[in-house]
Amino acid sequence: MHRFFRPRRMLRDAKQPLLWTAGQLCLNHKPVVACVRGYIVLPPTNDEEEKAMLHRMMRVDHAGEYGANQIYAGQMAVLGQTQISPLIQEMWDQEKQHLSKFNEILAENRVRPTLLLPLWNIAGFALGAGSALLGKEGAMACTVAVEESISEHYNSQIRTLMEKDPEKYTKLLQLIKEFRDDEMEHHDTGLEHDAESVPGYQLMKAIIQAGCKAAIYVSERL
Amino acid sequence: MDIKNSPLSLDMAALIRGLKAGRALRGLRSVAVQSTLSPQCNNVRRGFHRAALLRLASDSKSDTSVPPPSYHEVHTAGESSSSSAQGESSEGAQSNTSFQDQSGEHGEDYETEEQLQARILTAALEFVPQYGWTVETIAAGAETLGLSSASTGMFNNGAGDLVLHFIAQCNAQLAETLAEQNNLVQLGQAESKKTAEFLKDAVEMRLRMLIPYIDSWPQAMSILLLPHNIPDSLKHLSTLVDDIWYYAGDRSTDVNWYTRRAALTGIYNTTELVMVQDSSPDFEETWAFLDNRIKDVVNMANTAKQVQATGEAVVQGLMGAAITLKNLTGMNQRR
Repeated sequence: MHRFFRPRRMLRDAKQPLLWTAGQLCLNHKPVVACVRGYIVLPPTNDEEEKAMLHRMMRVDHAGEYGANQIYAGQMAVLGQTQISPLIQEMWDQEKQHLSKFNEILAENRVRPTLLLPLWNIAGFALGAGSALLGKEGAMACTVAVEESISEHYNSQIRTLMEKDPEKYTKLLQLIKEFRDDEMEHHDTGLEHDAESVPGYQLMKAIIQAGCKAAIYVSERL
Repeated sequence: MDIKNSPLSLDMAALIRGLKAGRALRGLRSVAVQSTLSPQCNNVRRGFHRAALLRLASDSKSDTSVPPPSYHEVHTAGESSSSSAQGESSEGAQSNTSFQDQSGEHGEDYETEEQLQARILTAALEFVPQYGWTVETIAAGAETLGLSSASTGMFNNGAGDLVLHFIAQCNAQLAETLAEQNNLVQLGQAESKKTAEFLKDAVEMRLRMLIPYIDSWPQAMSILLLPHNIPDSLKHLSTLVDDIWYYAGDRSTDVNWYTRRAALTGIYNTTELVMVQDSSPDFEETWAFLDNRIKDVVNMANTAKQVQATGEAVVQGLMGAAITLKNLTGMNQRR
């Protein structure tokens, strides 16, 4: 009966197209922050469920990139002075770009970040540093496992969005596909650099991937 | 624009209005059926709806040029204090059979149950100083709109519905005002405030909305603490705090998101408590208390930053010392 209202819900008529031009003040009084590329990634919506779903997706993606960032930071902390460090640094820079893009999306759309970010901070760094202590092959194996999990996760998100409405989510799909391709590239790079030659590769990969799945599950909800 | 009650003679106009109301009634019944209540309640409510709408139809006036309350007006009630809403809604009740297109997906002929409930609750706010936050208040509000006082049966939560409606209304009003101020700042017509000042002004603005009801507010607060009301009141509180921080310029996406909102929730709640027992003129003590709490939080944030910076410097110093030691003992050579 009482409604949780914010100004953007004042005009609820779904039939009325929302005027949305980058740089203009849209109908819901929210100032449109023109991002670097000048377009809006998440389609504006008035449907509660859809908004919740999109927010959940962005929340978990943001947590994922945050964790990946920390993993590479941990790897660099251990292997920063070795020959493999330029490669890890390059991959780390790409993850930083991904993270800043998600930060932008979260801020624009008022998405709540996950409560577990401090946990992913520590866990990611520990995983990166721990795997790097096994040497360059260990670091690469960790990269392969994590990037495979993330790619799978992005793929399932792409599938969900395509099933719902590919046209509406064009920009979002484009973004996720781009990031997924980057992660696959990291995965392949890891394989190229002797990831499989670390002792206990299969076991390590299984454990890390299970951990990633659990992290994704929890971040979606919390 | 004549609003006098017409005698209950069945002229053609009244007949047509009755037919319209009948159509509206059918529509409303379909809405009522979809709600999730127990079967007896449903029947009772259907009876109320019929009774309510029949009374509306019989008292309806022919030509009022008052625009009917749109969904927008009803639900955000941006500018309406309780008395003006009551005046408007009694006129609006007369011509609620046609709505502007903005009324949403429900069509033009009738208002939804939610809109009706919102109107009743808004009208009831006027009687809060008299009856407190109780079901009698809602009954008095319903009577102002020309409905039977038994329509309080629509509200399962009784006084809780009234309090939550009031809170939602206040929060929406605040968010709208903050959005307008933000617009002005974006357009360059106003200066942006510093965070502490912005928070103080926003919380003060929101708490001032309680002033007309401050005497009975402890009763409202205790109603909000009832177990079945706690989830809703927490949701309203978190919406409020999130809105204030958003317009204050917070775009953080890390743990700061949580710490800031937690801090502001604490400030708001304690200031509210101080306000209900404050007897100074225009609640000066409350605003002074608010000012001090915000200063505390800002101080803590600054201190935290300083501690972090100091900590980093200390760590770097230690690392430097360790490397020097390693160099001295010859342990730092590449093998």
